[in-house]
Amino acid sequence: MRHSLTARLTITFVVITVTCFSVVGFLLFQAVSRRIYIHDQTNIMLDARHLRRLAEEMASPADVATHKDRLIALVLGDNAEGLRVTDRDGHALIDHVPMGYELPAQPVVPAEQRIVPESIRSWKDHDGNEIRGVATAATLQDGQSITITVARSLADRTALLDKYRGDVALSLFTGLLVAVLLSYLLVRRALRPLTSMAESASAITAQRLSTRMPLQDAPTELLALAASLNDMLARLEQGFARVWQFTVDLAHDLRTPIGNLRGASEVALNRHRSTAEYEALLGSNIEECDRVSRTIESVLFLARAECPQFALQRVKLDTEQELHRIADYFEGLSSEAGVAIRVDASATVHADRDLFRRAVNNLLSNALRYTPSGRTIDLRAANTEQGVDVIVENPGQGIDPEHLDKLFDRFYRVDRSRSDSASSTGLGLSIVKSIMELHGGSVSVQSQADRTRFTLHFPHAHRFV
Amino acid sequence: MRLLVVEDEKKAGEYLKKGLEESGFTVDIATNGVDGLHNALEEDYALIVLDIMLPGMDGWEVLKRLRATRDTPVLFLTAMDELEERVKGLELGADDYLAKPFAFVELLARIRTLLRRGPPRDIEHMHIGDLEIDAVRRRVRRGGQRVDLTPREFSLLQLLARRRGEVLSRTQIASYVWDMNFDSDTNVVEVAIRRLRSKIDDGFEVKLIHTVRGMGYVLDLEHEEE
Repeated sequence: MRHSLTARLTITFVVITVTCFSVVGFLLFQAVSRRIYIHDQTNIMLDARHLRRLAEEMASPADVATHKDRLIALVLGDNAEGLRVTDRDGHALIDHVPMGYELPAQPVVPAEQRIVPESIRSWKDHDGNEIRGVATAATLQDGQSITITVARSLADRTALLDKYRGDVALSLFTGLLVAVLLSYLLVRRALRPLTSMAESASAITAQRLSTRMPLQDAPTELLALAASLNDMLARLEQGFARVWQFTVDLAHDLRTPIGNLRGASEVALNRHRSTAEYEALLGSNIEECDRVSRTIESVLFLARAECPQFALQRVKLDTEQELHRIADYFEGLSSEAGVAIRVDASATVHADRDLFRRAVNNLLSNALRYTPSGRTIDLRAANTEQGVDVIVENPGQGIDPEHLDKLFDRFYRVDRSRSDSASSTGLGLSIVKSIMELHGGSVSVQSQADRTRFTLHFPHAHRFV
Repeated sequence: MRLLVVEDEKKAGEYLKKGLEESGFTVDIATNGVDGLHNALEEDYALIVLDIMLPGMDGWEVLKRLRATRDTPVLFLTAMDELEERVKGLELGADDYLAKPFAFVELLARIRTLLRRGPPRDIEHMHIGDLEIDAVRRRVRRGGQRVDLTPREFSLLQLLARRRGEVLSRTQIASYVWDMNFDSDTNVVEVAIRRLRSKIDDGFEVKLIHTVRGMGYVLDLEHEEE
């Protein structure tokens, strides 16, 4: 299920609001009912104490009956209160219960004992309403003992609290509605910059990659997002430009051999020729095809090298042995050119054997092309702090600084009109770069007026695990 | 020997048939997977060259069904030179593969390797005309005269002699002699051949090492190209 940020935030706010309301409502309700409870307890207790003191001033049970108005007056203000006074034999001297509830027999607090809240009992009347009351003994002047029972019905309290609860629930419900509505509106409003960012983003197409997200209106929280989107756009734009350039170069590179193929074949067909001429043509055609194949193979290699699943088969390579082997491979070519190859290596690299050879091979064939007769190319390998450096260094005219950083670009040739561009694909150094990146390393070039040095940096074995 | 080529592209099929027939094979062509499988199951072929991208039933399926009952050697051709493709083909029971575009001599060499039965030629002593190669002592004589070769030149000559009459491509030679398993745009092999030729053929009436333009090199008493 897709999550809506608005919905999620709204729900969060509503949950928070409702929780707060409920907790506050519950606590208030508890506080009110507690206060009422304490109030009633205190009243009953004080009334009972008061009545006992009044009764103790009276002479006899008859006196109590006579002056019952004085006693009743104490509870007269509150209809819910009731009073009953009985003599030793249980005869009622006073029976004043306006609401008519029962005053059942219960433990009596002795006359000499203080009346405390704990003495108060609770029971139910016929309608199920709670009644609270206390019974106490009092000793009259003549020494006779009477029992005074004071009680209060809590029916009105229950009704009051029920109503209060209803009010709390109602305001909770209203609050919920208000919270939903308000949070929805506010969240939508707060998220408006996101919507406008999405709108700007959707305006960006492959043709309009130079568009950037407007940063000035973005709120602080979205600034980082907008900035990284812009960075991504910049990289995409660069990538597109590179792909475009690459396509153009590739097309150009394929056009030349295909032009040769077509042109030479057309000319050959123009008139009848000797078998030898046809054979020469076909042979030349195959060479052109090989050139196309090599370009395709190189382009595919570069593409594959960029795929993260490219599998390197790393083995321990003795650079001395490997460089000698490569020097040996080039022996014929170099001695024809009058160039010597000197190997000085003493390190071990963890690398893919074929790719290592291919990288050094590309650098060496490059070096050979630029080394004047009678000079020496150096192949070296040595441990460094970062790993192992493999160096191919040749004397001869250096490379202009303006070319150095583009040297590893695909199809980049220092001299575009070079005659031997037919034999080299212009991808050799890009392939070296790709190979080094696959190994987690890098390639660098330094060039002075009379020397050029390419260095392959292989990182330590443990660095790439 | 009879071969089956399953290839839907007409031009490719035609040149494969022609080339293989001129190399001494009898060739049947099937232009789709269903016919290919049918032929492969009905007839008795020495080897099948199988394209993977086929109409009707693709090469994988043909290979799978063929392997259920037959173990005719299969060399598959793929346009996608991806590792997974190769692994898949070999796991399904193919014996070798070639990525398109390939050199015809390369295909021929692979087919011959797959078909090579029995012990290889006597390689300890080889005689080609007046050329003698002693593989044990690594000595070469031409017309009775001792020829001094560097170790690499010897390996190169030995390779050409063992594959006498077979055209070897530059890539194959680089791979066998120097263990360089990639296409290089250098002319290392050309130079090596030139130097070997100067030692073996210079001053002799009968040339042994021949260049097949655009394809590679071959060692034989005579070759029709020259």
